[in-house]
Amino acid sequence: MRILLQHLTKIFPSRTKGGKEVHAVEDMNIEIPSGKLIGLLGPSGCGKSTTLFMLSGLETPTSGKIIFDDQDVTTLAAEKRGIGLVFQNYALYPHMTVQENIRFPLDNMRIKKEEGNARALDAARLVQIEDLMARKPHELSGGQQQRVAIARALVKMPNVLLLDEPLSNLDARLRLQTREEIKRIQRETGITTVFVTHDQEEAMSICDIMVVMKLGVVQQIGEPQHIYDDPNNLFVANFLGTPPINIFKGRIEGGKVYVGDEAISETTHGDGDVFVGIRPEGFIYDENGAFTLNVDHIEVMGRDKSVVALHEASTKPTVRCIIDSDVVLPEGASQLKFNIKPYKIYLFDAETEERLR
Amino acid sequence: MKFKNNSAKAVEADLVLNDDMTVAPKLTFGEKLRRGFKAQSGWLFVAPALILMLVFTFYPIVAAFVNAFKLDYNSSANMGEGIYNGWGIDNFTRVLRGDTGTAGANFMQCLVNTLVFTLISVPLSTVLALLISVALNSIKALQKAYQTILFLPYLTNALAMGAVFATFFQVIGTPEQIGINEGTYGIINIVLGWFGISPVNWIGKGFMTTPYWRIGQLNIPWAKYIVVIVYEVWSGLPFKILILFSALQSINKQYYDAAKVDGASRSTVLWRITAPMISPQISYLLVTGIMGGMKQYSAVVGIFGEQMGRDFDMGTMVGYIYNYIETGASGYAFAGSLLLFLIIMVITAINNAITKKHTTYR
Ligand SMILES: Nc1ncnc2c1ncn2[C@@H]1O[C@H](COP(=O)(O)OP(=O)(O)OP(=O)(O)O)[C@@H](O)[C@H]1O
Ligand SMILES: [Mg+2]
Repeated sequence: MRILLQHLTKIFPSRTKGGKEVHAVEDMNIEIPSGKLIGLLGPSGCGKSTTLFMLSGLETPTSGKIIFDDQDVTTLAAEKRGIGLVFQNYALYPHMTVQENIRFPLDNMRIKKEEGNARALDAARLVQIEDLMARKPHELSGGQQQRVAIARALVKMPNVLLLDEPLSNLDARLRLQTREEIKRIQRETGITTVFVTHDQEEAMSICDIMVVMKLGVVQQIGEPQHIYDDPNNLFVANFLGTPPINIFKGRIEGGKVYVGDEAISETTHGDGDVFVGIRPEGFIYDENGAFTLNVDHIEVMGRDKSVVALHEASTKPTVRCIIDSDVVLPEGASQLKFNIKPYKIYLFDAETEERLR
Repeated sequence: MKFKNNSAKAVEADLVLNDDMTVAPKLTFGEKLRRGFKAQSGWLFVAPALILMLVFTFYPIVAAFVNAFKLDYNSSANMGEGIYNGWGIDNFTRVLRGDTGTAGANFMQCLVNTLVFTLISVPLSTVLALLISVALNSIKALQKAYQTILFLPYLTNALAMGAVFATFFQVIGTPEQIGINEGTYGIINIVLGWFGISPVNWIGKGFMTTPYWRIGQLNIPWAKYIVVIVYEVWSGLPFKILILFSALQSINKQYYDAAKVDGASRSTVLWRITAPMISPQISYLLVTGIMGGMKQYSAVVGIFGEQMGRDFDMGTMVGYIYNYIETGASGYAFAGSLLLFLIIMVITAINNAITKKHTTYR
């Protein structure tokens, strides 16, 4: 099912008189193609859950429209939207067995018990928990609970599957495993899926389309790799990538980009103050390089190594450069010189923090 | 329920590896003594309560148990030593047969009364309390005010409320007096009159006869039953609402959101989500409500007077016991109290077995 969000806005009134109202989501415009997995990404409190709750019908938008295919569902009740929702902390009914939990939406549709059980079993097979049907939620691990929650959301064959940070309670290994699984299930079922996360790595790895949000405002929409390679502004550049991008205060003078006294790159933009963003993998070691960094220490990771360096113009405590492990660095050098790959350097207006393109 | 052994736990923390690679605690004798005392010191703290319980609870129970088997026991005779005519189970057989003299309360009548009052009013008031709590939980404006109003009956005295109920249901005066406004049918009869229902003598006093069914040896004055049941349901509500309402407020809102997305109707949410979630509180209310109901006394006296209706036809188990202590035939009172004890035990055991199956503790 194709989902269209038009000027979607949610404003929570302030609790106290004269207090500030919260603009949880502001003027959101997104088109989600049918059968895609899209990720809502942003820091805590940026309105991801609110967006999801508006999609599900648990919250009513202040203004704007939600359109499923050609039907305007903005004011349609939650139970009539045909959505499956997996909550941030699963919300499995603690007094019901796994089977009863999964069957619950079917019971409400007055589907016969035998058929309900059969369909519940199918859904359970999909997430590989068919052996746990008789257990109660508190007898399951976090990962198993999460799969029950997904099975419960899938069992009614929803038009849209909404997942609210479903992996946040899992340990690192299980998180990797389950996110692959979610991707697999989404592919197998072809259900349009909206996946909320504040973990950029998670979003980048499984989403077809990614929506980066900040304080209720959409910053950029696109394929994960595209957003990573071509960020719209400083926030997006900063938010994506581990280790994160290096940011320096710099300026443009006569077609040259200066950080400190060194001209490290060239540009066609006019003179002015800028933020210079350089991805960690954008550094090339060169004895005669244009950019000098003071080495703090070097971390060897096997596949590659990181030069952790200091620079007075850096907006972060350290600068991190990732270089191939077979590049030979001079032993014990306190300073290293680098050239910068031109497609790994981004310039942002110092005032607006918008990308200079 | 297994008690944790504190001393064992304390020792565990101090395990040392011995030379022969076995793990064992190294403790001096003094340390052992100190720990032993520490582990047992809990007794010291419960001692005051324990002594009071021994004097005022366990001794009377044992005394009642012993005295129930004394024949023709007169506790006040012989300078307070009491006299009796040997031992036997006559007290019990007479109590059960109702062969306890002419004027006094009848055991079977009292038992049936108490059981009917309790087994109808406790579930009824629990369900009502649940519905009211859910309603209260769903409103936002004036929630606190309603909560306070609903709790007020809890603060009033049972005898006083009984008297008020009696007034509501009573019929005062002869038909002639009522005709010239010197008597009244009471507010309940007046209201029923608006719906074309002719007056009923709810309390059973005055000129009108009260309706009753006859079942075997027993007279069931159903109109009077209704008064007691209405009273008990009503007076049981505040405490139950207090407990259930606070239980409801502790339920995570996400379960309701999930149920909404899953398309559950309001009644499905109530019976398949809300009720099971607060099942520990519900079963607590059922168990304590039934125990309390089996000990009902003051409200019935408040409504029907000291004779608990006509010749104790509204008598309760506790009323029965008081009656025979009062008339001096305390052997029957002891036997009756033991039987009541047994009955409450059996009912509670059944109750526990049923509620346990349907209770989810989180
Ligand atoms: N019911 C509400 N009333 C008032 N403000 C709210 C309400 N729900 C959310 N907000 C506010 O709206 C903003 C967005 O909240 P939301 O829950 O959507 O964030 P989120 O992106 O899901 O964050 P997280 O990653 O921490 O879950 C926050 O500033 C939050 O305080
Ligand atoms: Mg959230």
